[in-house]
Amino acid sequence: MIRDGAALVLLLPVALVGLFTCIVPALTAPTLQFGVRIPPQRVQAPVIRQQRRAYFWRTGLLAVVITAAAAFVPVGSALLTGALILLLLAAGLGCYFLARERIIAVKEAEDWYGGLRQTIATDTAWRTDPERFPIVWLLPALAVIAATVVVGVVRYPQLPDQLPVHFTVDGTVDRYAAKSVLTAFALVLTQVFVTALIAGLLLATYRSRPEVDAADAVASTQRYRRFLSAMGRGLLVLAALVDLTLLLVAFQMWRVFPPSSAATAQATVPVVVGIIVIAAIGVRMGQAGSRLRGRAEPAPARELAERPSAPGTTVNRDDDRFWVGGLFYVNRQDPAVVVSRRFGVGWTLNFGNPWAWVAVAVIAAAVVALTVVVGHR
Amino acid sequence: MLLVVEPDGSVPIYQQIRDRIVEAIAAGEQPAGSPLPATRQLGVDLGINFHTVNKAYDMLRREGLVRLNRKSGAVIARDASGAPASAEFAVEWGARLHTLLAEAAAQGMSADRIVDATRAIIGTFPLARREEGT
Repeated sequence: MIRDGAALVLLLPVALVGLFTCIVPALTAPTLQFGVRIPPQRVQAPVIRQQRRAYFWRTGLLAVVITAAAAFVPVGSALLTGALILLLLAAGLGCYFLARERIIAVKEAEDWYGGLRQTIATDTAWRTDPERFPIVWLLPALAVIAATVVVGVVRYPQLPDQLPVHFTVDGTVDRYAAKSVLTAFALVLTQVFVTALIAGLLLATYRSRPEVDAADAVASTQRYRRFLSAMGRGLLVLAALVDLTLLLVAFQMWRVFPPSSAATAQATVPVVVGIIVIAAIGVRMGQAGSRLRGRAEPAPARELAERPSAPGTTVNRDDDRFWVGGLFYVNRQDPAVVVSRRFGVGWTLNFGNPWAWVAVAVIAAAVVALTVVVGHR
Repeated sequence: MLLVVEPDGSVPIYQQIRDRIVEAIAAGEQPAGSPLPATRQLGVDLGINFHTVNKAYDMLRREGLVRLNRKSGAVIARDASGAPASAEFAVEWGARLHTLLAEAAAQGMSADRIVDATRAIIGTFPLARREEGT
């Protein structure tokens, strides 16, 4: 089957999601496998090695089969491609739960945390010498928005009374809307929303806590700083690239250049590049910097061992009870809103904290408002 | 400063925070004038209510080890290099030490072992050691 660039753009996400699903366990710390907290003394347990291997082959096979299926999707069917990605994610989740249940069973049967000193550790330097939000890296996104606004203002008087608001992949307009400032600038509003969302969540992340390994608190905080610094800059670059994609789509809508399948394919390039950049940072550094040099040692930190008040083996507290399915964090006692994810790379919200629900409600309301504006006829 | 607490331990968390900070001051990790995290921040970092942190900081303030002010937050107020301990403190601390030593003696620890253990701990307090020499 001969496929053009636009169709390839739809095939690529399926393959990338498949690949990422397959390698996630390798990107998370050995002490957090399939959302289960594992004491450093047990990271070599046979069950973990077996389940990681089983997960790898199962998800690998799924990725190959579903990517092959995606090759037979009719050209231009973004909806069907989306459905395949969802199927892939759901099947990957099934593999995750299979592995997870086995590890939990052995963990409970062998009482992995029996006799261990379970602690929470923090390096106060995280606060007294904080990681600064990279505000300068927000400038490219703001520059792209400003450029879009300028072109939009210049083009607005010449725009027709009916504006194209939706294109198929081959560049045909399949929906129009009456011209107004709101319909003409809907994509600028989307740019502002995406940029504010990424910057806002990132700011909350900078103010929250690092992922600390109690057995190696200072070094793991250092690794997290490097991870946050790279990921924060990467996400602000992603915001700029998403804004650039929206600029290219807006230029088609405003007839700066005519809509075509080539123009649509070109428009998706910045977003794809941005996602690849984020994925590359995740693969290189691992979740919360777990793949960086100076990996956690099972032995307790030296200065800790010297102090008579903190003897023996200190490990992170077994906090599995706060993680529903190892994926959703619900801890009413914890004032943190943004916390590091357990499975995958990045962060999640503490759904036991009312502020997390406020954040979700605000984001959902903005999405609904934006959909109403963009879909305005 | 490395702050390690045992949330499910027998000692209340605020007491653990207070104890770890006192130890960091003695070890010279937190000299006079060095800042501590704000109570809300430390609450987030340890995943505990900030009132618990407040309680620990308030204990330290009453002991004269920490200064709390609106602008600069919590700051270490004194360390081993400061003025010698007050007479009231020496009396109150002596009473607690008496209990602690009595515990060791009751459990059958010899005087030599008690003194050796004490020396080993004092050896990790650099400022107290220097004052001994002058």
